[in-house]
Amino acid sequence: MTQQLPEWLDPSPWLDGGGSSPADVERALGCDEPGPRELAALLSPAAHAYTEIMAQRARTLTQRHFGRTISMYAPLYLANYCTSGCAYCGFASDRVQPRRRLEPTEVEKELDSLKGMGFEDVLLLTGERTSHAGFEYLLECVSLAARRFHAVGVEAFPMTTREYAFLANAGCSGVTLYQETYDPFQYDRLHRWGPKKEYLDRLEAPARAMESGMRTVGLGVLLGLSDPVFDAVCLLRHAGHLRRIHWKSGITISFPRLQPQAGNFTAPVPIDEAQLARLVFAVRIVLPDVPLLLSTRERPEFRDGMAGLGITKMSAGSRTTVGGYAGTEPGTDGQFQVSDQRSVPDICEMLRGRGLQPVFKNWDSVFRDGEAGGRG
Amino acid sequence: MKRQGKLKDEWIVGGHRFSSRLLMGTGKFQDAETMVEAVLASGTQIVTVALRRVGRIPQEDDMLGPLRRLEGITLMPNTSGARNASEAIRAARLGRELSGSPFVKVEIHPNPHHLMPDPIETFEAARILAAEGFVVMPYMPADPVLAKRLEDVGCASLMPLGSAIGSGRGLATTEMLRLILRDARIPVIVDAGLRSPSEAAAALEMGCAAVLVNSAVAASGDPIAMAAAFAQAVEAGRNANLAGLMPRGGGTALATSPLTAFLSVEGQ
Repeated sequence: MTQQLPEWLDPSPWLDGGGSSPADVERALGCDEPGPRELAALLSPAAHAYTEIMAQRARTLTQRHFGRTISMYAPLYLANYCTSGCAYCGFASDRVQPRRRLEPTEVEKELDSLKGMGFEDVLLLTGERTSHAGFEYLLECVSLAARRFHAVGVEAFPMTTREYAFLANAGCSGVTLYQETYDPFQYDRLHRWGPKKEYLDRLEAPARAMESGMRTVGLGVLLGLSDPVFDAVCLLRHAGHLRRIHWKSGITISFPRLQPQAGNFTAPVPIDEAQLARLVFAVRIVLPDVPLLLSTRERPEFRDGMAGLGITKMSAGSRTTVGGYAGTEPGTDGQFQVSDQRSVPDICEMLRGRGLQPVFKNWDSVFRDGEAGGRG
Repeated sequence: MKRQGKLKDEWIVGGHRFSSRLLMGTGKFQDAETMVEAVLASGTQIVTVALRRVGRIPQEDDMLGPLRRLEGITLMPNTSGARNASEAIRAARLGRELSGSPFVKVEIHPNPHHLMPDPIETFEAARILAAEGFVVMPYMPADPVLAKRLEDVGCASLMPLGSAIGSGRGLATTEMLRLILRDARIPVIVDAGLRSPSEAAAALEMGCAAVLVNSAVAASGDPIAMAAAFAQAVEAGRNANLAGLMPRGGGTALATSPLTAFLSVEGQ
């Protein structure tokens, strides 16, 4: 099944069909340098009984490496045009919904609105590359954002190394690109048509971004699409591979879980909150120094509980529609349902109540902008 | 026997005198109030703040504002986040502009995960910033040769790591620190990796001028109490260094078959 995967990604040596024992879990928890084997054990059914111990370990490691802080960011959907047919996505090309993009003046209004909320870290999102919202459009939007924000990230289509270099020069410091699932067969089945069907092109895009000089690359899988243990071990191996080669770039990992969206796609391998929590704890245990993100897809109570238990970066006040921050009607449906609809001040208050400091500025444009650097 | 009066025990860095031998980091506290209380409890006189956490327009999470209001604190902006010398130099200049302080902790770690300092880029940034008149305090690997190179280009202190930032592995570089201390003409400050006050005391006992801690305080159960504990430990370690430790190892028992029996004893 896995012979199609590159050797550096193949998880099969560490997958034993869920046969880990409590002793394996305890060995994993006692391991000085946990890796794929330990991650698989921590995600096995035998680890259920160790959830609280894993949470305690995750909190300790998180505090040690990141302190009592949570970095805050905001996503901004620029466009929902898409040529791909991802079965699980509300923006897929066969979904009947209004399509639009934000024009530059609208982008500026949205950015100003986010800036007014206190954000200094913005993530710009689009669908697959189209004539409406292609590379040049994205480059322009990055430039607009970089004039206002210290940290600008992009979550969009895979690009060439040269294109990533242009984005970096325009002020983009991070690229997020989820493989969605590392299972090549499930990937092929779910990505029905369009450029996103190219598994290897997408798999290799994070390396191209790093090669271009991008400071951080965000990885993740869309939980619910495939076997989470298979995907998690692949994710860990992917991260390790990138870290060995592109040692000057950082990695972040997100935990998006399939939520209801246009098209009414049902998750083939649904995972519940307890599984998601253990996945976060396990990833924190094997990757103690990697920022871990949780989006507003999850309900407030879950996000509250997970803050600081591995999670170090959160979005707040998010809109998954094209536009919607600047007080205007977005005019599109969202990519998925936002479960945590609380305002930025409410989320900050929650974090402070849990002994965590919301950090809006954790980067400085002087690192990218030369002597004139200095936004905000 | 007449007890001698205790001299004021100060150390000098970049022409500035300090009595506290505990430097504090600020980036990991749960809020500004706790940070300020911990700084006060530590008795520190030098506080480092990351430029990346400093806002041009102060917001709630801005680090600089609350620290500015404290008396007797020297601010030392750090360049954390810089991947190379040119980024660190830009950050240092901006840090000086925003803080008004000539001190800079040169911190260059191209790998954002283990945060180990880049010796080559650190040397280059330190050389240029020292020439520009900064009080340069470089965060560095515990490398005795690099230490002398940094000293030669005009650094005001050396800040070798005890172990990786945030690792809590303590003084893992003891043997290299001893070599650095043996030859250093400027203060040596252990920066990074310390977890417990006893490790800070050990660094001062060895002869380090000071230690810098952040995670050890901010991630402890009670940051304010831990800051005070570090202050006591640093003082104890320094006093032990001044007093002189007893010799390590075997005593002076005489062997029953002395090795030197062959020596003639004149006058017997």
